[in-house]
Amino acid sequence: MTTQAVLQEAASSNLVREQENTLKRGSRKRVGGKPNGKKSIGMFLCILPFLVLIFVFSYLPLYGWIFSLYDYQPALGLQGSAFVGFQWFEMLVSSPTQMAQILQVLANTLAMSFLGIATSILPLIFAVFLNEVKAPWFRNIVQTLTTLPNFISWVLVYMIAFSLFSSSGLVNSVLTDSGIITTPVKFLDSGDHVWITMLLWSLWKGLGWGAIIYLAAITGIDPALYESARIDGAGRFQLMRFITIPQLMPTYVVLLMLSVANLLNNGMDQYYVFQNAFNMQHIQVLDLYVYNVGLTGNNLSLATAIGMLKSLISVILLLTVNLIAKRARGTSII
Amino acid sequence: MKRREFLALAGVGALASVTLSSCSLISGTTPKATSAGGAFPKTWKKPITIDVFDDLANYQGIQTGWFAKLVQDKFNMKLNVIAPNVAGGGETLFNTRAAAGELGDLVVLGSSQHLDESLKGGLLLDAASYYKNMSNVKKYDTAVTFTNKGKKGTFAFPTSVSALKPTQSSESTEPTFGPYLRWDLYKEAGFPEINTLEDLVPVLQDMQKSAPKAPNGKPVYGLSLFKDWDGNMMNNAKQPACYYGFDEMGFVLAAADGSSYESIVDSDSHYVRSLRFFSKASQAGLVDPDSPTQNYSTMFAKYQTGQVLFAFWPWLAQPAYNTTANMQEGRGFEIAPLKDMKIFSYGAEVYGNSNYSLGIGAKASDPERVAAFLDWLYSVDGVYANGSQTGSAAGPKDLTWTLASSKKPELNAFGQDAFLGGSTKQVPADWGTGTFTKGVSALNVTTVTAVDVDPSTGYSFAYQMWPSYEKLIANPLTKSWSSHMGGAGTTMEYLRDHKKIIVAPGSGYVAPVDDSETQTLRNQIKTIIVQDSWKMAMATSTSQFNSLLKDMQNTVNGLGYKKVLKVDMEHAKAQNATRLTVAKKFG
Repeated sequence: MTTQAVLQEAASSNLVREQENTLKRGSRKRVGGKPNGKKSIGMFLCILPFLVLIFVFSYLPLYGWIFSLYDYQPALGLQGSAFVGFQWFEMLVSSPTQMAQILQVLANTLAMSFLGIATSILPLIFAVFLNEVKAPWFRNIVQTLTTLPNFISWVLVYMIAFSLFSSSGLVNSVLTDSGIITTPVKFLDSGDHVWITMLLWSLWKGLGWGAIIYLAAITGIDPALYESARIDGAGRFQLMRFITIPQLMPTYVVLLMLSVANLLNNGMDQYYVFQNAFNMQHIQVLDLYVYNVGLTGNNLSLATAIGMLKSLISVILLLTVNLIAKRARGTSII
Repeated sequence: MKRREFLALAGVGALASVTLSSCSLISGTTPKATSAGGAFPKTWKKPITIDVFDDLANYQGIQTGWFAKLVQDKFNMKLNVIAPNVAGGGETLFNTRAAAGELGDLVVLGSSQHLDESLKGGLLLDAASYYKNMSNVKKYDTAVTFTNKGKKGTFAFPTSVSALKPTQSSESTEPTFGPYLRWDLYKEAGFPEINTLEDLVPVLQDMQKSAPKAPNGKPVYGLSLFKDWDGNMMNNAKQPACYYGFDEMGFVLAAADGSSYESIVDSDSHYVRSLRFFSKASQAGLVDPDSPTQNYSTMFAKYQTGQVLFAFWPWLAQPAYNTTANMQEGRGFEIAPLKDMKIFSYGAEVYGNSNYSLGIGAKASDPERVAAFLDWLYSVDGVYANGSQTGSAAGPKDLTWTLASSKKPELNAFGQDAFLGGSTKQVPADWGTGTFTKGVSALNVTTVTAVDVDPSTGYSFAYQMWPSYEKLIANPLTKSWSSHMGGAGTTMEYLRDHKKIIVAPGSGYVAPVDDSETQTLRNQIKTIIVQDSWKMAMATSTSQFNSLLKDMQNTVNGLGYKKVLKVDMEHAKAQNATRLTVAKKFG
């Protein structure tokens, strides 16, 4: 059967179902053998605004890729700028050092994302334990205090980090004054363990917020499950292990899937505020690199070319995950 | 997707992309000034507010205070200053305004690249028809002609123009660069001789020992560095190279007299020498550990409280620490000459400063008035009033200074408070409101250099060079310095007499704008150089320093350093050729 035939059949079976529905609803409308043109135009008009929105915000920006083929200078406009073809792309792979730069950036991006994914189980565990706290006032306080950092912008987080950990910050002052160290420890302006410290900061900021969805899911678990488990003699930890966590797993898997799709989108505000000459090599993620090249380095064309790299890798990752999902679960996600 | 839907979407898309692209369809035609009337009118009826796009300004918003009142009274005009420095985001503000096709009514450009782009984009007005009437600017016609060479009209007006000879220093009493030490502590250490840069380490250690804590209880450091001005290289590390007669041209350090050119990343360059010096100082506990994370204002505050012992520049340390009270007790920053130094000095610019320029916006609402204002900035009154932000010009006559009975200019009581007393007094009622400092011109652009001579007084615009000022500020600090220096009057006098200064003739040379590939390579490379330089400056051992240096050299060479260096080398040599020509012509 050709594709067209399949589509036709599908369309006609839809039509039949539609007719049945209208009949069931006792509509007095005349039911004809051909599609109702007016109705489908009406339906189309209903979705049109959303199609336009999707087009404008998701597809139209792809037009911006054209900048990567020009030597764009804002004062001249695109028309006045020289067309350079693939010059910027060639530049990215022109020498081993150039490649090494890009690879380092990609390594940073992927590392931070995978560390983020690897620790995505922590909010779940946190929620499970928090749920076990019996005193409501204490649980509420803990929940509020852990959720609060999520609403602090990264700029302010950096201010906090700076006043605590800079060379004349609180921690160093206390350590120096108590005679434990003589020269300040470099917490912020050092290139060591950058990935880990960045992970800790984002965990501190996002843990409580991430737990909210699991706390909500826990309240949705059928109490009968706990009761029957208790009758079977399950203790507190067994309840957590055999009831709560398995019940939360579907939620966790969905969130995990979403975070995989966002693998390259680990944002830049956190890394932007924490970057300095000493940690730059390990902190520069793709988004930050694009920003540094495009806006700080004032080359919007090259930045576009690097940005396209991100789209390309995202598509590859998505297809890979899709393939795995297809193998593992039998259905694809796209 | 059904065919019809697709067509509908395609229609929307086509429409949107037409709208988008029409934004960028700025034609490359050059706007011309239309009216070519006679002299500028004396009064202006309609009150206006003009937008001033100013790459150099450090203040954003409507100009206030006495300068605002001067402009208001004269031109019935308010200045709305748009300052990328304040707005932040690097080139973003210039780029968005350039893409929109309008920078402002009055434009102050901070680089030759901005000028180049503005001209290509047709953002500046051809002011040729107004230029005829600009009697004040016309005095510097050589410079105006030079700035507009090769352009079909009069688009840009030069800054820092001067009627002095190009082989004369443009600095007044203090050089731009110089090793400045806390003189009181240096004296306490017994004036140890400093043969060369590296000798500063033990000297500073001695000084630090005698004053380990500042009056506010914070530790005192020899050096406090900052990162705000890092460009092609770490800015702080370039400064000691200037003590030996070099200045930067991209990645090249060029000697003032063209005798040698260095690539900054070479192991034996003056730049790497400075980094090595920083690292040595760092290991001796002399470098402020806040250095990599602090900015200029944090560092400036440390100078004010006496937490730093050494300064690269007089204009940083002296305004910060040499207050009347400190100087009366003999405390303050003064130059402590290195035996082998030959400080780089910028010669007066007959052609004006090559990097900064002024222009009238192509879409200015009242170009004639902007032109008249621009002209006034080059007049005697304009120079006194506008040149006072950087603290060199004396401010308007009768506000801050008067002519004494001897016909010599001297600061009046208000002026003394404004420049020496921390500007605490309100301006007299007929000068508007606010203190002197609050009302200084936010334009932050020097039209005529302050060392130039005001023909009406016979003395320079800079009050620091007036004989009355030297008497006014004589104090224990300057006396102690002068007696140690063999009775020298000012630093410049000492440097000239002892041949410790080398003047690079003001040539007006502008390096051509990089093509975009070179520019991109340069941006990548300079990021690496700056990052690694900071690591080297704070390196804790010689072996760490050397391995970082090797890393840096390998990385930048891999990125195509040689290509950019070749361009810079050509520019440096061309600059020297221009210097020689100018020196010969104006001698």
